[in-house]
Amino acid sequence: MRIRTTGIGAVLAAVTALAIAAAGCGGSSSGGNSGGGTGDEGKPQYGGSVVIDRVADSQSMDKTTVFDNESIWVFEQIMEPLYTVTKDGKDVEPWLATSYTLSADKKTYTFKLRPGVKFSNGQPMTSADVKFSIDEARKEDQGWGFLDIAIKDIEAPSPDTVVIHTKYPWSPFLADIALFANAVIPKDYGGETKKQFYEHPVGTGPFMWDHWTKGDELVLKKNPNYWQKGKPYLDSVTWRVVGDDNTRELQLEGGQSQVDEFPPFQTVDKLKSTPGITMTLFPSTRTDYMMMNERVAPLADVHVRRAISLAIDRAAIIKSVLFTYGEPANSFMPPQVPYYDKSTPGLQYNLDQAKQEMAQSKYPNGFDVEMLLGKGSADEHSYGQIIQQSLQQLGINVHFKQVDPSTEFANEQEFKYELGFSYWTMDIADPDELVTFAVDPNSGAKSFYTDYSNPDVIKWTHQAQHEFDKTKRQELYTNIQKQAAEDAFMAFLFYSPYRYAYTDKLHGFYVYPTGNYHMEDAWLSK
Amino acid sequence: MSVAAADAFVEAEIAEPRHGFRTRWYRTPAFVAGCVIVGTILALAILAPVIAPYDPNKQDLQNILADPSSKHWLGTDQLGRDVWSRMLYAARIDLRVGFLAVFLPFVIGTTLGAISGYYGRFGDTIISRLAEVVVAFPFFVLVIAMVFVLGPGTRNIYLAITVVGWVSYMRIIRGEVLVAKRQEYTLAAQAAGLSNARIIVRHLLPNVITQAIVFAMSDIVLDILLIVTLGYLGLGIQPPTPDWGAMIAEGQTFITVKWQLSTIPGVAVVITGLGLSLIGDGLADLLRPE
Amino acid sequence: MDLPAYVARRLLQMVPVVLGVTILVFFMIHLVPGDPARTMLGTHASPERIALLHKEWGLDESLPAQYVKFMQRLVHGDLGNSLFYRVPARELIVDRLPVTLWLIGYGTGLSILIALPLAAIAASKRDAARDQVVRVVPLIGLGFPSFWVGIMLLLAFGLNMGRLFPVGGYGEGFTGHLRSMFLPALTVAIAISPILIRSLRASLLNVLESDYITTARAKGLPERRVLVRHAMRNAVISTVTILGVNIGYLVGGTLVIEQVFALPGVGQLMINSIFQRDFPVVQGVTLVFAILVVLVYLITDVVHSLLDPRVRFE
Repeated sequence: MRIRTTGIGAVLAAVTALAIAAAGCGGSSSGGNSGGGTGDEGKPQYGGSVVIDRVADSQSMDKTTVFDNESIWVFEQIMEPLYTVTKDGKDVEPWLATSYTLSADKKTYTFKLRPGVKFSNGQPMTSADVKFSIDEARKEDQGWGFLDIAIKDIEAPSPDTVVIHTKYPWSPFLADIALFANAVIPKDYGGETKKQFYEHPVGTGPFMWDHWTKGDELVLKKNPNYWQKGKPYLDSVTWRVVGDDNTRELQLEGGQSQVDEFPPFQTVDKLKSTPGITMTLFPSTRTDYMMMNERVAPLADVHVRRAISLAIDRAAIIKSVLFTYGEPANSFMPPQVPYYDKSTPGLQYNLDQAKQEMAQSKYPNGFDVEMLLGKGSADEHSYGQIIQQSLQQLGINVHFKQVDPSTEFANEQEFKYELGFSYWTMDIADPDELVTFAVDPNSGAKSFYTDYSNPDVIKWTHQAQHEFDKTKRQELYTNIQKQAAEDAFMAFLFYSPYRYAYTDKLHGFYVYPTGNYHMEDAWLSK
Repeated sequence: MSVAAADAFVEAEIAEPRHGFRTRWYRTPAFVAGCVIVGTILALAILAPVIAPYDPNKQDLQNILADPSSKHWLGTDQLGRDVWSRMLYAARIDLRVGFLAVFLPFVIGTTLGAISGYYGRFGDTIISRLAEVVVAFPFFVLVIAMVFVLGPGTRNIYLAITVVGWVSYMRIIRGEVLVAKRQEYTLAAQAAGLSNARIIVRHLLPNVITQAIVFAMSDIVLDILLIVTLGYLGLGIQPPTPDWGAMIAEGQTFITVKWQLSTIPGVAVVITGLGLSLIGDGLADLLRPE
Repeated sequence: MDLPAYVARRLLQMVPVVLGVTILVFFMIHLVPGDPARTMLGTHASPERIALLHKEWGLDESLPAQYVKFMQRLVHGDLGNSLFYRVPARELIVDRLPVTLWLIGYGTGLSILIALPLAAIAASKRDAARDQVVRVVPLIGLGFPSFWVGIMLLLAFGLNMGRLFPVGGYGEGFTGHLRSMFLPALTVAIAISPILIRSLRASLLNVLESDYITTARAKGLPERRVLVRHAMRNAVISTVTILGVNIGYLVGGTLVIEQVFALPGVGQLMINSIFQRDFPVVQGVTLVFAILVVLVYLITDVVHSLLDPRVRFE
């Protein structure tokens, strides 16, 4: 009768839904090995275009002012620096310059430029271009100028020589010079205004400008005048914006794109066993932290901070949120950075010790605290909830404040938060930028927005900036890391890799610990 | 005769016969079926603290993303929480949210729509233009602003939905009233000297409210879905409180590896929507004049 | 009633409405915490750098002064420059508008194609088996959020079953758009159809069982003709009302679908610029969106009055 029909209707509805879901999921992974390795197999072939799907769009190609990776990783294919970061992230190697000499007082660097380098428009690169580029980049009142602060002036005595004087001995100098902001562009912007120039920048890099439809795709094409003979192999590279994780994966599987940037951790296993796809985890300099605002009473107590850090079960987070693809962080510096000390005693999970620390603090019975969560990542919600449960055991009641991304950032930077999450990835192959940011309360970030202030640590940080002897420098950074770990100024959470899934047909694709990649080494097999 | 008696006399003359609610409701299969479905879900929701096998927020990090088993009837989610328990508790939240979020807009919208459609002229202009301002306003800016002013939480979502939601009802009722006021029974009532208020409330509304009720039933589900979308964007109900929307949104990132996490709460929403639609149809049947 | 005069009057009334919306949004979005300079600079923010950006963007002036500047530029058709992209906001919006319009139009069209015949089938024999099925099955579309439906469609048709449709993207050329936009439009249609079917069926039943139709039948007019001419006309009125009422929800709903199908539309632009506090873009999109919605309401009212002779607006 009618009631029964309606009942059947409900069952029909549910069954249809499940059927669609099942049909959808049936064919996507049939197991088997993922063919091809991460290395280059066979001889590189020429031709082809690569489409890279990424989460967000670039903001601008102005290398002197933008900070977002989506912009940086693109314009690095167009404009190149004198020296560049090595594959292991620990050093720099010659690139547009072939060598340098350092004066005895350590304040004058003389660079020899590589002969035969041309811009993509055919013009030869000279020292005048280098001087112009770095002078523009180091203007203090903008963007990346702060990294070039040690530079006093630049001279171009001959077309293939550049001389740079620093104000004081500055050991991070070579790493700073390798920064993308200091890449070489034509003198005087090739006759255009700065704004016009960066709408279609010209450089010595393997690829040159094609077009950019904002929010959709950015296309670069092969530079026929590239100085590395025989490269690049690809005809063009396209970066496309696909915000939804699932769609990115499907586009890769469907052949619409060749690279899926940052597939979520839970799909890594599946992608590893999908035929035709290579899933690679590249060691990265990404370190995740939970910041504790020392302007909030209980968090100023070092025993409280130590207790919190000891109560966090990092292994559990890595297992359930990163699906085992990560390592607990023992230092605020990641392993891929020079002078990282792997014996740094960053606090790890130990609930008994945590309780002891709480007992020694001024708040043995716990307290209420607010944790800031943003739209930024679904992961943040997950480990926020895990940490909430952990801290419960110490009598610390965490309640969440959920805000949209712009508010999250602003609040952290204005110290309007109690517990918050953040992360760091290295821009240069030198610890100084991170260390100054993280533990120097006089830097713009006020110790990573925690207000942490330890006079010894601050002293060592400044000393290390002028120390050229590698052994002595290591000692200083070892002390800094050790003290920072014992003061538990932040809870160091974990190190995680860069995740890239790409077609088996792509070879020579390698992501550096700083996050960038050299597309001139990449090629497609037919 | 007193005015009231006169009114009653006139009404008896021109009133359209309407079947009594009490005599027929249990004979309408759609309505009964709907009540059964919604009633069951309501019962499960109310009894959740009693029948749920686990604490919905208890994490079991060693046992995440487990498949259904005798220990966990619907498996576990990405933090090892029991899905079945979370579903039960989520029902409490979602049913409450759905009904509350619809109630005020329904009342406000119907009132304004009746006024707007019946009286027309300046009142209509003001109300209609106000409606346009409200609808043209980007909803997410409103939600973010409310979260800022009032703090995060479900209360703001109700407020935001109320501020925006009354417009649909207003438009529907207004449209129907515009037609109904030209009908014979209205003209007759006016000719007989019945007050406008009485005409609207006792004669027009029962005829025109059908469409609004039908819409209200879907609107409940739409509101639940709206909160799901807010959750997808990170503006929804706070974790770790379980609600079907948050479960769908959180499960979305696992769709290609564990699609049940998003689908099961979705099915719950579908079934709730089904029950509500049946009630809506049933009510429409009962209230429809012959 | 004089139609042209009515339309003219409504268009004039559109101005204060749209203005009202933009003023409200302007002040709301500026007063909510969240600084585009901080978002842009990220971990590299410093008070000096932030102040510099504020100056460059004119954010260091008072709010009313900023609003005046905004209006002055608006009169020249200039919406200001996007803080993040540093190109005119108008350019960004104009580039993306066609995509969103395609999505809404295609989706609405599909939903009518689905809903009308189904509602007619259901209404033709009330409470019969086919009526029950038609009323229940579309509820799937109502119960699942559109991002779920979208991904399921992609999995089913984009990847498997012969790769009929591309996985997201806008496509090139008219036929390219038809093909690429089919799945997202279908997602939109699946979301609206249940409501449409439901109300169409209700209004069709009302008409079919009214005296009007019974008389026509008694006079011996062929049933088909009766159905098509009289019932359908009323059905269109209901459709127009329902769709018009839902236009706000529709346009807002497209942003999720744009996200899933990687469509470079206005919805995406809107949500990203709100989260980033890209004020000029937020204001620009709000303006365009407001005009669109108000126009649709006007069209709904006009169609309603044209089709239903019983209705007259004053």
